[in-house]
Amino acid sequence: MKRYEMIVIGAGPAGLSAAIEAAQSGLEVVVFDENEWPGGQLFKQIHKFFGSREHQARTRGVKIGQNLLEAARGIGVKVVLGATVLGIYKNKEIAVRLEGEVRNCKADAIVIATGASENMMTFDGWTLPGVMGAGAAQTLMNLHGVRPGKKILMVGSGNVGLVVSFQLKQAGCDVVAVVDAAARIGGYGVHAAKLARTGVPFYTSHTVVKAVGAEKVEGAVIAEVGADFTPIPGTEMPLDIDTVCIAVGLSPMSQLADNAGAELVYDPAKGGYVAALTDEGETSVKGLFCAGDVAGIEEASSAMIQGKIAAAAAARDLGYITAADFETKAFGYKESLAKIRAGMFAPGNKGRTDIVQTDEGYPLSESLLARGFLSDAEAAAFPAAGIGGGGGGPRPVIECTQNIPCDPCQDVCPKGCILVGDNITALPQIAGEKACSGCALCVGACSGQAIFLVNETYEDGYGTVGLPYEFVPLPQKGDKGRALGRDGGELCGAEVVEVRAGAAMDKTPMVVMKVPVSEIARARFFRPESEGGI
Amino acid sequence: MAVMVRVKNDAPFAAQPDDDMVVCRCEEVTKGEIRKALHDGVCTFGEVKRFLRCGMGLCQGQTCQRLVLGIISRELGLPVSGLGHITGRMPVRPVIMEELGKSTEESKEA
Ligand SMILES: Cc1cc2nc3c(=O)[nH]c(=O)nc-3n(C[C@H](O)[C@H](O)[C@H](O)COP(=O)(O)OP(=O)(O)OC[C@H]3O[C@@H](n4cnc5c(N)ncnc54)[C@H](O)[C@@H]3O)c2cc1C
Ligand code: SF4
Ligand code: SF4
Repeated sequence: MKRYEMIVIGAGPAGLSAAIEAAQSGLEVVVFDENEWPGGQLFKQIHKFFGSREHQARTRGVKIGQNLLEAARGIGVKVVLGATVLGIYKNKEIAVRLEGEVRNCKADAIVIATGASENMMTFDGWTLPGVMGAGAAQTLMNLHGVRPGKKILMVGSGNVGLVVSFQLKQAGCDVVAVVDAAARIGGYGVHAAKLARTGVPFYTSHTVVKAVGAEKVEGAVIAEVGADFTPIPGTEMPLDIDTVCIAVGLSPMSQLADNAGAELVYDPAKGGYVAALTDEGETSVKGLFCAGDVAGIEEASSAMIQGKIAAAAAARDLGYITAADFETKAFGYKESLAKIRAGMFAPGNKGRTDIVQTDEGYPLSESLLARGFLSDAEAAAFPAAGIGGGGGGPRPVIECTQNIPCDPCQDVCPKGCILVGDNITALPQIAGEKACSGCALCVGACSGQAIFLVNETYEDGYGTVGLPYEFVPLPQKGDKGRALGRDGGELCGAEVVEVRAGAAMDKTPMVVMKVPVSEIARARFFRPESEGGI
Repeated sequence: MAVMVRVKNDAPFAAQPDDDMVVCRCEEVTKGEIRKALHDGVCTFGEVKRFLRCGMGLCQGQTCQRLVLGIISRELGLPVSGLGHITGRMPVRPVIMEELGKSTEESKEA
């Protein structure tokens, strides 16, 4: 039977990072993944990621997956796709289904990096065709090029619900509503805001009570929920939709760890049953590790670091690196893990509703949490988002008002205008004394699409707002339409005076629209005449 | 490992409006069937599974485990943490017998 030094199960960010780390230390590594595509969740993610440069922030997820695969193959890792691991026996022997048969192999160390599966919820009509997981909708769109439906109800406002809603809009679907039973939107405010300004309404403290239709979904009913999360009679509201997407969380796929005899524990903060792990990611079975979403639902950035820690520990145990080398590596990895696990969205803060201000002491925007957009007054309270006192020429307005682990804006600005500092969950600040060149790199790099370039002195009485625009068709210079506010409401007429779509923008073009100076602080989106923005 | 407490809901079974809602899609088990079993003395996920087959279908409980745990927890007033989970068994994904049959010690290198 073939024996490897390390078997990694799952070619997502955790698994590939573990494989790279182990191979760098000299281990012979194989990675099995049941998918035909490498990258795990990443290969469906067409948006730019958060984090910092070391986690490949502002790179689209799909590209991060490709980069990891190339790096893995480049140092001799064998990555086998279409290979489903069916079980783990005693002595770290595994059964893998491959090319129409089941084969066995063994390893000195195994890293389980199988990720998570989507949670479902039950309601009247939930088994009708047209009700699907948000991940399934994403697979249809981004892998198969098929729209899941025309008119969508999204249930769940965590990052998955928000990101998939935006992608549905990019694919040309109408997202009729995003509902969440919680009183606060669960995902990042910047993800919610980029949806809200296109006109998508948020209903917090609401749930879906019914999908209607004989053979398939032809409509749905939503209702407000009380403090006990049950629908309040009399608040029902029918919606004209044909698809219900469910994004109510993920559960770690711990079956293989269980099968291998590892002890499982129930931990709601991690998403359900997970293997009990040491801080090196080792299970109760010696030499068997878990990393990434299977160890607790988090992010690609933390999955990558967890994979590296587990692989480094295995390399030490197998004698490839010294205990001292391991300590040095682990110290660095744990430090960067702690950095991204800070802020209001840190795993330990899941579900908390008592956070009312940012680490800097600014009051959190209630409107952003409840309805997905900053109110005009709240926006003005944040120095980087405020717009008062601007002289001539373009300058950035940064509507990033929650402590999220992200800093590409600071990283990309060639003039040093934007400061996040070492603590990557800190809010970006504008360095007042630096002169912005108007290069728009920050607009294209901001993973949250939260940076706008404003210029109050474009023409007499008119200024311009440059905004990120990731939809097709891309408006052209001279196009006329309407300027929309943060809430997606129409404000005034607008004309496109410039479009920046060069390679440096990495497919996040900036559309610059001319609006009356009085609307500059509010106008944040452009609706072309052709789409009803007359 | 948490110690399991046997609990039975002795209150007479009272029908609920959504009892006919399918919870386990693979084996077509309804909420009412699960609730009834709990009133009959069944009390862990493993027992519900053996009794009604939910979690034994194609997806091996990937969809229903969480839903069933929620129903047991509400019906018996127990925290989910003490209810156990589906045992992960080989094969964790469906596999056709022919492919399994081709599994040999000397089979090709994986
Ligand atoms: C819509 C969406 C948006 C996201 N946006 C971001 C973001 O902006 N930034 C960020 O940091 N994170 C983001 N994430 C989260 C991130 O994608 C995940 O946290 C990360 O992918 C987890 O990595 P992983 O390696 O643990 O698991 P996965 O990426 O899920 O990979 C697991 C792999 O294991 C394979 N596998 C499972 N079981 C078996 C088996 N039995 N045999 C063989 N192979 C198996 C699967 O096929 C899969 O390829 C997002 C997630 C979603 C769904
Ligand atoms: S437009 Fe260019 S110079 Fe101005 S803040 Fe953005 S990145 Fe910096
Ligand atoms: S403004 Fe900076 S920190 Fe905020 S989302 Fe954009 S890139 Fe990230």
